[in-house]
Amino acid sequence: MYPFGKGAARLMPYLLLSIPVLLYLLLGFGPSMVTVLFSFTNASGVPGQTWNFVGFENYMTFFTSSDSGDRIASIGRSLYFAVAVVVIQNAVGLFMAVIINKKLKGDVFYRAVFFLPVVLGVTVSGLIWQLIANPLGGPAQAMMNFFGTSSNFFGDYDIAFELIIFVQIWMYMGYSMTIFLAGLQSIPNDLYEAGYMDGASGWKAFKNITFPMIAPSFTVNMLLSIIGALQTFDIIYVLTGGKFNTTTLAFDVYATAFGSGTSDYGLASAVAMIQFLFVFTVSMIALYYLRRREVEM
Amino acid sequence: MSSTKGTKLLSYIIVLLMLSLYLFPLFYLFNVSMKTQSEYLIDPVAIAKGLRLENFMDAWEKGNFSQYMWNSILYTGVSTLLTLVISVFAAFPLARGYVKFSTFFYVFFLISMYLPNPLIPQFALINSLGLYNTQLGFILLKTTGTGIAFLMFVGYIKSVSRELDEAAAMDGCGYSRYLFTILVPLMKPVLATGIILTAIGAWNDIIGPTIYLSDPAYQPVTKGLFSFYGQYMNNWPLLACGILIVTLPLVILYIFLQRFIVGGAMAGAVKS
Repeated sequence: MYPFGKGAARLMPYLLLSIPVLLYLLLGFGPSMVTVLFSFTNASGVPGQTWNFVGFENYMTFFTSSDSGDRIASIGRSLYFAVAVVVIQNAVGLFMAVIINKKLKGDVFYRAVFFLPVVLGVTVSGLIWQLIANPLGGPAQAMMNFFGTSSNFFGDYDIAFELIIFVQIWMYMGYSMTIFLAGLQSIPNDLYEAGYMDGASGWKAFKNITFPMIAPSFTVNMLLSIIGALQTFDIIYVLTGGKFNTTTLAFDVYATAFGSGTSDYGLASAVAMIQFLFVFTVSMIALYYLRRREVEM
Repeated sequence: MSSTKGTKLLSYIIVLLMLSLYLFPLFYLFNVSMKTQSEYLIDPVAIAKGLRLENFMDAWEKGNFSQYMWNSILYTGVSTLLTLVISVFAAFPLARGYVKFSTFFYVFFLISMYLPNPLIPQFALINSLGLYNTQLGFILLKTTGTGIAFLMFVGYIKSVSRELDEAAAMDGCGYSRYLFTILVPLMKPVLATGIILTAIGAWNDIIGPTIYLSDPAYQPVTKGLFSFYGQYMNNWPLLACGILIVTLPLVILYIFLQRFIVGGAMAGAVKS
């Protein structure tokens, strides 16, 4: 029941709610839907050019034009990025959460330090790693010299993408860890005591008590990192600008629409749609299995 | 209990190794910032010969950071404030079911995570409204009532007793007055975390300014730092100072607010 009066007073919540709804329709939901339309047109950022309906031409271009090798490779790279980031970031995050949850001295400090890169942001974090990987004598190079090899790091076709994945995990491990910590701290201690009576300690206790009990924070972490990883491209923008075999679908959308010398909105929208289908499918499959795991326990 | 002692020791060793992976980059950054260019070129990894604070003054002026900082403060401040107010407008009636189709609206907002990337039509729209390269346009883009703050607020408001609404209404308190004079003060903890997480997102955005703000006079500090990097690519001591200048206010703020931030990340993640 609505307590704040009747008649005109009943309209107040609608009036205030209409502000976020309109803003979202105008700048979020609306543009999202228009992306679908754009993907079937030859829309471009060139002034004065007319926009026509072209059917599936942009999608054909994506898969069959002369440079579609790179574009198709970016699908594989997006998946590689997502799998590596989701698995490593959450594994390390969970591991560190379990360790810090052992009531170590200074745990507040550790938590703060591991979360720090999120606060610093992608530009600062990216440039810090550029400095470390500076091929003209940064500490990473000094280490390589020690082993008698050298590398151009973020300018190296073979490892630039792996380095980006490393920086991404470095940035957000603390975030995953924090969410796991929240889950761990909600487990009542008697569970472990009861488990100990039944002979469950160490790995057994983790497998049979801890892991099932943190199912909700596991779901949150997995979904956040899957969606996040498949849509991330600012880190690529900062570290390599998409050069040296480091483009992903998300980066391709940006580069096709706003890259230097190109403003093909139609094609970029088609890439965005392919990315959307990709993100949607992967996260729905993940959600299905994660929910089932939560129900089973 | 010797095994527990052993695992504790091992835990400390692992934490220490991990800490060095997070703190070494910052120490190294500071070390480089204290060098002269020739000192850096001779031996980049060596410890700096002394404190050279004038490097910072130099970077501050060459990088035009006062302009960029001011823009960042403006964009982050205004868009965060608006986002918070609008999120309360959306979260309260939806958490309580005071409007028809509350669940529908909630899900409608929630799916913003999954929708196709709106980047391109958004740009076309801002362009055709004449808001490209304007501070107003950028603030508008950074303002949303459907983000993390909204999700956290819905969860939190559900834990505030509904009887409070009824009691206040009985005493003749209107809807909007209730929101601002009773509900908002009650939401202080979740507001603090909402402010921090929203502000971190707005402050650190690099893609937004790259797309929407071509005039350096309007760019925020992230974009400014990135341009500075492009310009002084080979002068790492100067660059390191630039990075530290951008980093320091955030680190200081973070030291004061870190309990809120970490707690807020937890609350935001688990309650939504």
